[in-house]
This record gives sequence, structure tokens and C-alpha cells, in this order.
Amino acid sequence: MAPKGKKGANAAKPKQGEEEPEEPLQAVILADCYETRFNPFTLEKPRCLLTLANMPLIEYTCEMLAGSGVEQVFLYSGNHSDQVEQYLQQSRWMRDTSPFSLEIIRSTSRSVGDAMRDLDQKQLIKGDFICVYGDVVANVQLEAALTAHKARREKNKKAIMTMVLREAGDSHRTNSQHTRPCFVIDPHTQACVHYEQMKPRKSPRLEISDEVLKDHPEMEIRSDLIDCGIDICTPEVLAQWSDNFDWQMPRRGFVHGVLKDFETFQLTIHTHVLTDGYAARVRNLQTYDAISKDVVSRWSYPYCPDTNFLPDHSYKMKRGFVYKEDGVVLARSSVIGRKTVLGEATSIGDDSVVLNSVVGRRCVIGKRVKIEGAYIWDDARIGDDTVIDTAIVGNDASVGSKCSVQKGALISYGVRIADGTTVRENTRVSQLKRKRGYEEDEVVRGNTDPKVVGEGGDGFRLEFDEDEEDVFETLVAGVQDLAVDEDDSVSEFSDEEDEDEEVHHHRKTSRTESFTSIGSEESGEARQSAADFHHEAANSLFDSLQKGQDPDTIQLELKALTLATNAEGKQIRRAVAVAFSKRMAKFVETGKSAKEAASSTVSPNRLLIERCVDAASVEEQVEFLLFLQTDLVHRPQGSKLLLFASFELANNDLADADGFQGWWEAAQSSATEELKKVKVETKQVVDFLQDQDESSEEEDDEEDED
Amino acid sequence: MPTSKVGTTPSLPNFLKSLKHNDIETSIEAFISLLKRRLVRGSRPCAIATVNLLLRVVGEERIKDAHKLIERIRDVGRRLVAAQPREMAVGNVVRRVLEVVRERAEADQDAAAGSEGSTTSPTTPTELTPSSGAHALPKDLQIRAHGSAHGEKPTSNGVSDATAQRPALASTNTSYAGQAPSATSLFSILQHPTTASGGRSPYATPPGDNQSASSKSSSRRGEEAADAKGGEKLDIKAEVITGIIELQNELEDVDDEIASYALDHIHSNEIVLTHTSSQTVQKFLMTAARKRKFTVVHAEAYPNDHEATHATIVNGGRKGGDEDALGAGGDERWKPLTSMGITVILIPDSAVFALMSRINKVILAPHTVLANGSLLAGAGASTIALAAKTHHVPVVVLSGVYKLSPVYPFDTDELIEYGDPVKVVGFEEGRLVQGVDVVNPAYDWVDSDFVDLYITNLGAHAPSYLYRIIADHYRKEDTVLT
Repeated sequence: MAPKGKKGANAAKPKQGEEEPEEPLQAVILADCYETRFNPFTLEKPRCLLTLANMPLIEYTCEMLAGSGVEQVFLYSGNHSDQVEQYLQQSRWMRDTSPFSLEIIRSTSRSVGDAMRDLDQKQLIKGDFICVYGDVVANVQLEAALTAHKARREKNKKAIMTMVLREAGDSHRTNSQHTRPCFVIDPHTQACVHYEQMKPRKSPRLEISDEVLKDHPEMEIRSDLIDCGIDICTPEVLAQWSDNFDWQMPRRGFVHGVLKDFETFQLTIHTHVLTDGYAARVRNLQTYDAISKDVVSRWSYPYCPDTNFLPDHSYKMKRGFVYKEDGVVLARSSVIGRKTVLGEATSIGDDSVVLNSVVGRRCVIGKRVKIEGAYIWDDARIGDDTVIDTAIVGNDASVGSKCSVQKGALISYGVRIADGTTVRENTRVSQLKRKRGYEEDEVVRGNTDPKVVGEGGDGFRLEFDEDEEDVFETLVAGVQDLAVDEDDSVSEFSDEEDEDEEVHHHRKTSRTESFTSIGSEESGEARQSAADFHHEAANSLFDSLQKGQDPDTIQLELKALTLATNAEGKQIRRAVAVAFSKRMAKFVETGKSAKEAASSTVSPNRLLIERCVDAASVEEQVEFLLFLQTDLVHRPQGSKLLLFASFELANNDLADADGFQGWWEAAQSSATEELKKVKVETKQVVDFLQDQDESSEEEDDEEDED
Repeated sequence: MPTSKVGTTPSLPNFLKSLKHNDIETSIEAFISLLKRRLVRGSRPCAIATVNLLLRVVGEERIKDAHKLIERIRDVGRRLVAAQPREMAVGNVVRRVLEVVRERAEADQDAAAGSEGSTTSPTTPTELTPSSGAHALPKDLQIRAHGSAHGEKPTSNGVSDATAQRPALASTNTSYAGQAPSATSLFSILQHPTTASGGRSPYATPPGDNQSASSKSSSRRGEEAADAKGGEKLDIKAEVITGIIELQNELEDVDDEIASYALDHIHSNEIVLTHTSSQTVQKFLMTAARKRKFTVVHAEAYPNDHEATHATIVNGGRKGGDEDALGAGGDERWKPLTSMGITVILIPDSAVFALMSRINKVILAPHTVLANGSLLAGAGASTIALAAKTHHVPVVVLSGVYKLSPVYPFDTDELIEYGDPVKVVGFEEGRLVQGVDVVNPAYDWVDSDFVDLYITNLGAHAPSYLYRIIADHYRKEDTVLT
């Protein structure tokens, strides 16, 4: 792989790592998950500081790592870095007596991929390391997995990663209910040979390539595994991330990509299936609920409230999984049912019933209140005669008297619900919302909506994806992709109304991944294959362009790939546009001017564009230009590149005035500030063409070679 | 081999290894997290780790006086006990060490007092003790101090030693009698002579007070006495360390000592029932097996200990367990009983009642023995004790003194640890996990009524006598550490 200079440099590292067995065991915690599933709570607080059974999630993760003998931890915090840092500074993990050294890396990364690439650049990782999210709850010791991993590495340098998975039977609450990972494993080598995510109630279909089927006479297809996001990686993994800078997510991006490229690089990913111990990831509200229940009913033992991992905790367990901290005030006639956690200084009034719930510290719960299956965080107040059913009430929130909070409702920090209000199912009530078009961090106060919180309340209903939905409409890929990419949000907006009693997970819908923009009406599988195609096509095109291959050859390859995956014209256009913009950006990075970059990219390879963009079709031209524009948004000198590329396109008669006009006027092209900014310079080309078009009609040269 | 070792996973052996070169606070934190994560479990490993840790703490400490040392140990002990209140052995060992320190401190101070008594006028001790004690001591101690001033002459040293170590009982009575120390209860009558014996006052002033007092006198007495005192102070640390090492040895030898009573209790052709795997019981039975032939019925203690039980029956000891790592395993002591010609029958816990009518003796190994003679033992022990009671089969409990806790079980529910339900129902059974509350108590509480005999390394005792052993080994003021 001649052009991949980076890789050579990085590949040398793992060898050093192996020669020194004394090296400290390192781990990377990804504290930010780059997703919005816990909105509205994550608008103000990082996800890893949300409390599960009254203990911040990051504590579970750190405990797990400490329990596995990790000596050095790097924590990547994205959103709300200040809060994460502040919390950790005061925690026992930053003290001298901490079992490992913890370094917080503030990063501007907007996806797991970015974080990994950043990590690779920083050269912090010396040997094999453990990569986890900041929301893993696990009581397993990774020793066995590590030993197995090392043993494999001894034999085969190409075994770059081991995924730690927990076996769980069918229909397990702790497993993700909507997208289910499906691992195809070779039982002899434990290698994962294929990975796909499946949706429930869709006919399960795996597309396993012929080579895989040929190479592995025996395969296990398993969808009963909980993917707890614990990966044991070699430095080679980081190199791979760096090489493939369009990978965003560890599973759909990385695992998928590596397995796809197996023929080329022979890299393998292995699995370590745990049959005992507990390991799970709080990936959405549904798993939050399930894992809370697991922790309370001690499946995660010893990671239970009464272990009191935090020095100031003083939980004691009573019969029936009731955990009480010191200083809880219970009225004599109140009833504390099974599986309940009550934090310090919480008081519960007469005749109230609390069942199956977690109540934080200093909460005040009035008389005759019924709370079932709810999560009430610190300092919340619940008025008399209120009924709360399977909901989350955030810190400092207050619910008035005679209210009814229905299933799946989320009441965020500081919200006040006035007396006698009913909060409907699955409503998200918040004081804050994300300001459109800005970074996630920037949240603003919304206007109180008395219809939702009652007269005198404070808060409004946070609509589902109020801003994210715009993204779908506009069909633009690019900026938005990076913002909230996440592991398996693939088709959450096809939002299944949950089958079982857990209503939570119907939340979310991040602003999905790049390929969703290809057509949000598509089914999950189609979208997935589209994503595969896009990933592969864009990469191979870019590679070929880099190598300066003959356009005919490139075209042939592209054609083959198109036929193999049954891709549509639109997808090809997108792939070509992305590859071109990448190529141009590369030129700019190496110091060439935008003009040179555009001319040396577009002109020699005009054939490729000709093939996928019918010069006679205005729509196709518009589409191509849109793709180009959106991809250039996040490239350096994007607006310049777009200008010169447009110029080149016009010069080579690849796009005509109508096309440019159509593009310029298309709503999608000016959907966001960034898009507008990028295209502003191209105005001159559009105008110029417009003038020319009126005077002389140029002949479209078309050589059809299909 | 880089493959064999991956980092240093926290575990007891690793902890003990790291103890030597780690910072003391780090070690304490490490042990606390081991306790919390339940990577150390069981009385013996906990006790061993605690002794080693305290040895380090004492060794490290630059003690000015015994009082500070006691504070320090109490402080560490408090943290350890808070980390895992249900591992009583930790608290027991801390209390034992405290007792060692207090004893040495008092011996020292007595020596100081004694030397003063010999060099200065005979009135000095009587002046010193009550006055200095009256300021700083809790009430009941003051009274004793008073008593010593007014008390009769010493009788015999033997009596003094024995009674000197049982302060716990005295508290209420003496404080009650405080107003009129001369006309008192039986206790105070017994106590006056002892406390005053030989000019010693074992409960008297804390060392700090005494030093200031003695330094006053020493300034009068000049260089010679000062030298003697300096030597004493150094000695406290050395003596405490010796005391802790004695404790360590006791932990090591406890099984042998208990086993030495085996022949008194196990007779030929008996059928003995035991439960869970215990090093102590194994040793005990082995010792008896050398001389006698008998049959052992072994209840397996599913689900928490059955694997260890099976290993004990097949191999004689748990494989790769904590015992191995502590250097106790591996040698020929861990032969299975069957290799000595003993018939061993493994039964599930549920079959205990059916077989009980044929059993001659039940031998239990407790997790902890509590102050009132009741005990905590692996889940299933309660059933066995109940069955034994019904069939009038004697229940013998083998327990090292280190398992004996001065804590009175006010709430037996809280003492029982609830473990991992995974051992009962697999986590992969999604529907069961969701719909059923699975409870897996690790221990059972057995009341003292059900126990006929305790055998400790000191000998055999009735349950009602345990208070006495507790009084001999722990100080009342240490009973509540927190």
C-alpha cells in the first residue's frame, strides 16, 4: 500500500510493545458518546456523570478498569469537559492513592473516530490497551480476555482487536432492544468474520460475503451477545483509524471496515464471549432502566449500592433489595416496596408508596404519592397525591401536587411542573434546548409552555429531534453527520413503538449518520448496504485518484462495485463527489493552491464525472453539486475549492448553467450557515455561466461508452 | 513469557506482594478496594491481609506515644471496617492489634510507675494515679482509678492478669457504683485489688498523661530515669510489632491447634457431617483420620461454595484459590480425605434432613462467631443446625479465635451478605432475570441454641462461655470502632 505512508510509521509500534512485557496496562475511556440519546439530560450534563443507582456512570467504568489492573487511563471528554474534569479532580481517581494514573484529554473530536485518530497522533499508547466507553457497567475482570488476546497476538500479529461480549439469552432486557448486534464468529479461532446490526421485526438477513463463507467452514451466528463496548486493542487499531478517516463509529465503522478489507490487509478481529460476570453499556434510556434494575437486584454484584464505592455513600441493604442510606426519613405509614434505592436525607410522606424505583439524595416526596419504576435524581421534590410511573425526574426538578407523570416521561433539571398537571407519555420536558446550527454545547433556555407544565410551571416540551429532523429534510450530509454520530443509531428514526413495557428507548434519533441522508425513506438494510457501498466506493476512488490511476481503470472498478452492490446513480454520484473533494483537500494540504488542486483533480478524471452525471439531466448535476458542496464544508479552504471545482466542471462541460442555477436555488444548498458560507464564492461562476448561457448555447459533448 | 502475565490484576497475593514497596496510604486504599470489590473474601484471607497491613502501618508510623498509635490504628481500622462491615475478621484483627498496643503501653507505664515507686517515696504512685486519671478518663475508669487509690493491697499476680483483661463486663456496674466506690457490687470488690495490684493500674491513664506525669518526676530524678524512659518508648513500637507477629503466627497455626483436639471429638466408626469447604475442618478431619476410621458426609453448599467443596473432596484443597497463593497450598497437607481411607459422601444441601438421623456429629466452620455465641456460616448452615437440633445431633463448631467477634448481633438480617444471583439463575435467562427476584444469601445466621460446642485454638468451649474469650482478647473501648 504505497500511498499510505502513515501506516508504515504506526505499524512499527506494536512490535516495541511486545518486546516489553513490563509496560503498564493502558486504557482509554471515551467519556463522550457523541450522541443525543439522553436528551434532555445530556444537554446540561455529560452522560458519564448521569447517576445510575445514585452513582455516576464513570465510577462504574473506573472501578471496572481498576479491578482489571489497569495502570494508566486516558479519558477523552468531548461535551461538557469542564464538568467531567471538575468531577474527576475531586474523585478518588485523581488522588495519589488511585490505582491508576488518570489523564483527561480534552478534545474537540466529534466522533469516536476523531478521538481515536487524535489518540494516534498523540502517541500516548505504548502497547495493547483497553478501550471502553464512559458508561460501561461491568464486574468482570478482563484478565482472561487480555491473556487470550496476548496469546493470539503472539501467534498472529494481524489479530488487532478483541471485543469483549457478554452472552445473554434471547429477549434480554439488558440487551439493546432496537438494534441488535449480530456477530458471525468462527468457533475455532473466535474471530469475528462478519458483523451486522439487526432491527427487530424486520426479517433478519445477513449479507455474508462469499470469501468469508469459503474461508470458514464453520460459523456461529450470534445475536444473543450484549456488546458492552469493551475492546482490547493493539496500537495497530489506532493506525487503522487514522488510515480511514471516514470511519466514525467503532462497530459500524471500524469493525465493519476492517472486516471488509480483510482480503487486503488480513487483519482479524476476535471476540471474547463471557459466560459469567456482568457487562453492559448504558447506551440509551431503555438500557439505563434495565441496568439500573440489574444493579439493584445485584446481578452486577459487587457493583451494588450497598458496596458504597463512593466514600460518602452509606447504603445498607434491607430485605427485598431495599437500599437505604443514612438519614432517610420515612413516614410511618409509607410503604417502601421491593427493589428501591433511597439516598441520604430523602424524606417520604405519609401513605406514599415507592416501588421498584431509585430516589436520589435530599429528595422530598409528599404524602400519598405513588412512585413506581421511576428514577428520581437528587434534590427533586414531588408534591402530595402525585403519581409517577416509569419516568425520570432530573435533579432539582419539582413536580407539584396531584400531578400525574405518565410512562416514559422525562423531566429534566430544574423543571417545575405546576399542581394538577398531567405529563403525557414519552414527553420530554426541559428548560433548555439546543440552539440550532450550533455546537451541541450551546444550549439556550426555551420558553415555558403552560400547556405542558401547567400555570406557574417552568419548562417546555422538547420536541423529538426538533433540529435533527431538519437535517433529514434537507438531505444534507456533512456537518451534521459528525456532530452526533453514534454507534448504532442507524435507523432509529424508524422509531419502533416499543414492544414491551419500557417506553424509554423510543426517544432519540440522533442526527444519524452520513448515509441516512441518502434517503431517509429507505429501509434499514438498504441504507446499510448504501453505507457500505459509499464507504467502499469513496475509499477506493480516493485511493485510485491518489495513485493517479488511469480514469478508465477507475471507472471500471467503480462500475464493478456498483453492480456488485446494486447501487443507485445517486450513491455513485455521492461517492464520486466525496472522493473528489477528499482528493482536492489532500492537494490543498500538501500546499497546492485551491485552483491547482481543482484543475489537477477534475480535468484528468472528467470521465468519472461524465459517467455518473448525465450532462443532460439538471437534477443529476444539482445533486452532484450538492454532494460536493456538503462534503467540502468541513474541508480546509472548502469555499475556494468549491469555486474552482465548479469552474472546472463548467469548463469541461460537466455541468451547465441550468445545473448550476438549479443548485444555487436548491433549498438544501443553503440549509445551514456553513453551507451558505461555502457556496458564497461560487456565486461568480453561477452568474458568469448564466450570462454566457443566454448569449451562446454550447454543445454538450457526450461520448457514451456504456 | 509475556503471555502469562497481564498487568497486575488486583488480588490478595498481589496486594501482599505490593505491600512492601507501596506507599502506606496506597496500600490501605488498595485493600479497601479489594474488600469492596470482594476480591478478598472469607475470614482467613481478610484476617491475614489485615494483619499484614497493620504491621506495615505500625512499622511505618513514627509514633510519639502509644496513644497516637492507638488513634492511628483505630482510624485505619474504621476505614477497613466501613469498607466491608460484613467481613468481621477485619474488625477482629484490628481490635486484637489495638489490644496488643494497649497492653504494651500499660505494661510500659506500669514499669515506669514501678520504677518511680522504687526510686521515689512510696506515696508517689498513689498520688499520681488518681489525679492524672481523673482528668482524662471516662467515668468508669476514673472510678477504678479511685478504687486503686483506696483499694486493698494486691493479692496475686495470676488473678490480676486474668481479671485485668475483662473490662467489658465491668462498665455498667462500676459506673453505677461510682458514687460510693467502697460499698459496691461484686465486680468492684473483685476489681479493686486487681487494679491496684503491685502498684499497677492496667486501666489507668493513657500513656500521654503518664508520660507528662513521669517526666515531671523524672526531671526531679535526673538523667538516669530519663534514659530509661526513652528506651521504653522505643520498645513500645518494637513490642507492638512483636505482638502483631505473634498474631500472624497465631493465624498460621490456628488450624493445627484446632486439629490437635480432633481425637477428643471424633471417634471410630462415627458418621460426621460437614458443610462447605474449610481448611480448618479439613485439617481437623485429617488429624482424626490418622488414628481412626470414620465416615464423612459432606454437604456441598450450592451455589456459592459447591465448587470449592468438590475440590476439597477430590483434591483436598481448593485449586488456585487464595490458600494456594498464600503459600499454604501445594504441600502434602492437602491430600483428599479419601486417600486416608475415609469414606466421603457428597450430598446436596437438600438431603441433609434425610440423612441427619444417621449422623453422629455435625462439624461446622463458621464465617464469624458473634459475641452471644451465635454464628454466621455459609448458606445452608442454618438448615443443617435445625436438622441436627431436631435429631439431637451435637453440633461442633471449629473456629479460630480470630473469627470471634465482640459485635453483638442486634440485627441479624444486616449481617448477612447477599451475593450474586448469577450463581442461582444464569444471566442469560432473560425472562427470569426480568421477572423474578433472585436472592442469593452468602451466609446463614445460626443461633447459639443450635451449637453445642465451640472448638477454638484455645480449647473447647460452650457457646455461653464465649463472652469470656472475647473479654480476654478485646478491649471494651474497641468494640465500637466507628
